Amino acid sequence: MARIKKKGQAGAAKNFVTRNQAIRKLQLSLPDFRKLCIWKGIYPREPRSKKKVSKSSTASTTFYYTKDIQYLLHEPLVQKFRDHKVLEKKISRALGRGDVSDAARLEGNASRPDKTGKPTYTLDHVVRERYPTFVDALRDLDDCLSMLFLFANLPSTSMVPAKMIARCERLCLEFQHYLIVSKSLTKSFLSIKGIYYQANIQGEEVLWLVPYKFNQRIVGDVDFRIMGTFVEFYMTLLGFVNFRLYTSIGLKYPPKFDAVKDEDAAELGAFTLEGKTLVGSEEQSKLEDVAHKPDPKVQAAVNKVLKNMTNGAANDDASMADTQEADEDAAGAIDKFEPAAPGGDILPQPSYTGTTPNNLFSNFTIYLSRETPRQPLEFILKSFGCKRVGWDAVLGGGAFTTDELDPSITHQIVDRPPIQASMNEEGDGEDNQTAQKLAANRRVPGRIYIQPQWVWDSVNDGELKEPHVYAPGASLPPHLSPFVRKVQGAYDPTMSLEEQETEREALEAGDDDEEVDADETVEGMDVAEDDEDEDEEEAEADEDEAEEEEDEDEDEDADEALQRQIELEAEMSGKTVNSKAANPKTKAKEDAKKALAKKAREEAEDLDRAKGMLSKKKRKLFEQMQYTNNKKSAEDAKLRSKRRKLEKEKANGKA
Amino acid sequence: MPVLRSATAGSGEAPKQFNQPSRKGKKAWRKNVDVTEVEEGLQEVNNEIIRGGVIREKASEDLFTIDTTGDSKIPQKFPKHVKKGLKADEIINRRSAVPAVSMRKRPSDKTTDGVVPAKRQRTDWVSHKDLARLKKVADGHHENTVAVRDATFDLWDAPAPVAQDPTDFLPEKIEAKVPKSMKLKPLSLLANGKQAPAVPKPTGGYSYNPSFPEYESRLAEESTKALEAEQKRLEAEAAEAAKLEAAAKSAAEADAAEERANMSEWEEDSEWEGFQSGVEDERPSAKQPKRKTQAQRNRIKRRKEEEQLAQHKANMKARRAQEQRIKEIAAEVAEKEKEKALELAKAAEQDSDADSEIGEEKLRRRQLGKYKLPEKDLELVLPDELQESLRLLKPEGNLLKDRYRSLLLRGKVESRRHIPFKKQAKTKVTEKWTHKDFVL
Repeated sequence: MARIKKKGQAGAAKNFVTRNQAIRKLQLSLPDFRKLCIWKGIYPREPRSKKKVSKSSTASTTFYYTKDIQYLLHEPLVQKFRDHKVLEKKISRALGRGDVSDAARLEGNASRPDKTGKPTYTLDHVVRERYPTFVDALRDLDDCLSMLFLFANLPSTSMVPAKMIARCERLCLEFQHYLIVSKSLTKSFLSIKGIYYQANIQGEEVLWLVPYKFNQRIVGDVDFRIMGTFVEFYMTLLGFVNFRLYTSIGLKYPPKFDAVKDEDAAELGAFTLEGKTLVGSEEQSKLEDVAHKPDPKVQAAVNKVLKNMTNGAANDDASMADTQEADEDAAGAIDKFEPAAPGGDILPQPSYTGTTPNNLFSNFTIYLSRETPRQPLEFILKSFGCKRVGWDAVLGGGAFTTDELDPSITHQIVDRPPIQASMNEEGDGEDNQTAQKLAANRRVPGRIYIQPQWVWDSVNDGELKEPHVYAPGASLPPHLSPFVRKVQGAYDPTMSLEEQETEREALEAGDDDEEVDADETVEGMDVAEDDEDEDEEEAEADEDEAEEEEDEDEDEDADEALQRQIELEAEMSGKTVNSKAANPKTKAKEDAKKALAKKAREEAEDLDRAKGMLSKKKRKLFEQMQYTNNKKSAEDAKLRSKRRKLEKEKANGKA
Repeated sequence: MPVLRSATAGSGEAPKQFNQPSRKGKKAWRKNVDVTEVEEGLQEVNNEIIRGGVIREKASEDLFTIDTTGDSKIPQKFPKHVKKGLKADEIINRRSAVPAVSMRKRPSDKTTDGVVPAKRQRTDWVSHKDLARLKKVADGHHENTVAVRDATFDLWDAPAPVAQDPTDFLPEKIEAKVPKSMKLKPLSLLANGKQAPAVPKPTGGYSYNPSFPEYESRLAEESTKALEAEQKRLEAEAAEAAKLEAAAKSAAEADAAEERANMSEWEEDSEWEGFQSGVEDERPSAKQPKRKTQAQRNRIKRRKEEEQLAQHKANMKARRAQEQRIKEIAAEVAEKEKEKALELAKAAEQDSDADSEIGEEKLRRRQLGKYKLPEKDLELVLPDELQESLRLLKPEGNLLKDRYRSLLLRGKVESRRHIPFKKQAKTKVTEKWTHKDFVL
């Protein structure tokens, strides 16, 4: 007979330990144990059966692998924790005796290890252990960056000491400097939560989220002890990552930090990069030789427009259009290029000297008005090649220029609605040049005014967007997420219709064209009516489609019958068949339609056959899938048809 | 006037032996020596000092005077003719001859020894703030002890360990091996068991200036969710109300029944009280298991053998049938496997799409730790608050909570609840009986 096995001697009972058992084994306090687990990357586990693991009557909730805990015994940090526990005991004993000064001395000695010769501990070896290679560290950088950027923007409280916040801020700024120099930022997105950034660092995609400024509420149900522990670890990690990144591009780490400039809220400007290959101070010095001089022709055009505006600005609603026109006029005056492709940029494009799109703004001098968010704009503009970013003095130091009238400025980013009333008060455009301070809503001629979204959209698309779409006061196009993966057949507002529509839609659209052409001669009001009862149409759309299909089939049958009839007749009379020579274009279309319908039918048949093979459960699942897919594609088709209509209207309006 | 005296307090005298016949043994110990006499004498001397000095040391002139006042007995003889002072005055006037120690600050001695005295200043003084901090440290709430310094070396480019000196015969220190379980991924709280990304990718619906269809779909989704939650809440409320009502009703019924029972005559009650006739001992007796006979055993054995044989025959038959159409089966199995793989691939594709993007993630049913994962904040700008301008954007959601939740979701830590106050020990109020200790 086999030996009787005792309960709790093998299997799950041996493989797992409860948290209390672990704490007792390591002789640590619970907070210390938590810290250690977070730093070492030991996570709570779940045994298959909790009952088999714990022998106690009270239910334990957190379990760990026994081997993990066993391994923790070798950790040098454990000794440090125990040392600290000893110190705590000494202090509490001294306090209990009333020897306050003794307690203070004990504590002081421990916190100033340089005096006692006892070193404090660092997490270097833990970082090394958890990320054996640099690439491992890069992969885990998402969480690290999000956390540190978040803490850099928190207000300091008793739970989050100011020292920690300052450290986080510094590390983040250093990291941003690396991104600027290496031009590795790829995408950014303005969401309602914060600003997302994506960078490509040595082939690894890193995505992180930065909160908007001054927006952090401290809530009660967040455990700051745990968050703080994570932040401590991540600070160490980012420090080493920064070192590696800086040295990889030949920069010295840490960069020189100017405390005076930092006091002045210079942020990125408080750092000076030093190295063999790169000169960081170049950014700071004004490059006078590149200073932008307004083209005399443009100046003349703008002056003319301004004069027009000041004269005839009494009518409020017209003035909006004027500004738009002015932009377009200005654009027309200096437009020496033909747009490379239809739908491409009409405005002059900067000649890309580099091959990467990360030199997007390299030829511009950009000024930020005081209502714009400076930190993200500065970071994005600089990391996409802009060397000269100026802003209002209110927004902090470190600007290329704080003078709004600087003639070298080519673009100004504003986020205020234009108020036309103030325009009338002052004289003409000539006065503008001499005026020391600009009144609100004054425009300096010779530069392009845009809303902040222009920067983000340009960056995400890798090309400069047309600024007139983003002019102040203009209704902005939607800001799309650059992170959504494009699905085949889904509606994508950024692509042209031709690129994304299905064959069938294209054919139908062609039909519609002809119909509309015919319609317009008869009843020109058709389009306007369409707009009004759009909803009805949408409701009917599905039915229509179904009907159409049936109609098509019938048509086809009828066509075939007719064809056969003709052939028979021809055979009887002994002539050759000259089938439908009438309209080759329509015939081709019809053929295409027929082919398409046939293909669709065949596909449907195949699908039916395949479905027959499936089991009932799977068939149900498959049908469900098909249903949702159809619904989605119908939605996409509807969106495309809407857009087609709008485009047609626009084209008609132009013609 | 009776004197109030504690029964346990004692007389306040030193411990002593009652009498001391011998100078040997414990009784002769110093603490046991009877010093009452000495103490009494000392007390007497002290009293004398208070009254104006030790009588024995005084000169005769101080002790004796010529009586010029007259007979002292007169007030006793004629009490009505003599004016008596108040008792209180009498007590107050009983002054000590020893002058009281003055409370006034005295100037320091003008004459010095030439050495300038050091100004007394406590260098070991600890402020209240420091003391509070020390108390906290003693309770284990110390500040972060990690020294975060600027990185000064490349962690991932550290020099290789130096080859051992061949003359060194000490065994090399063996590093502990990292267990495999350390490298396992943390427990994800997602229903599909996949690792949630640290920062999920935002969809267009989260844009500050979203395109209409994306925003609309998100709004519809969130609003249906809110509606459902509200409906659930209402249902729960209704259920609770119904339960309470039922409880009240049944309680009322019970009351009524009790009253009725009280009203009824005692004869009817007898059955309630456990008296019943003619119903005892009617329980059917359980059948006791008996030993099987050899014949029975044989029968069972035979039956088992037959069954086994039949089973074997059936199996062989099925096998033969299968062998005949082995090719068909192979094709079938291959088909099945292909299908399964296709399905899996499809599911995986869909999942990977859904996973990396923000959205309503499906959580697993079993939670990790004692508490539930906190709810996600509603991150939605309402239609009337939707602004086109970045300046007017009102950010939604709380990133701090979001990060914390992400940590929990990825299973890095078990969820905890914030405990704002320490659990206080329960106190029980009782009466003290110390008044019994006093005797009059």
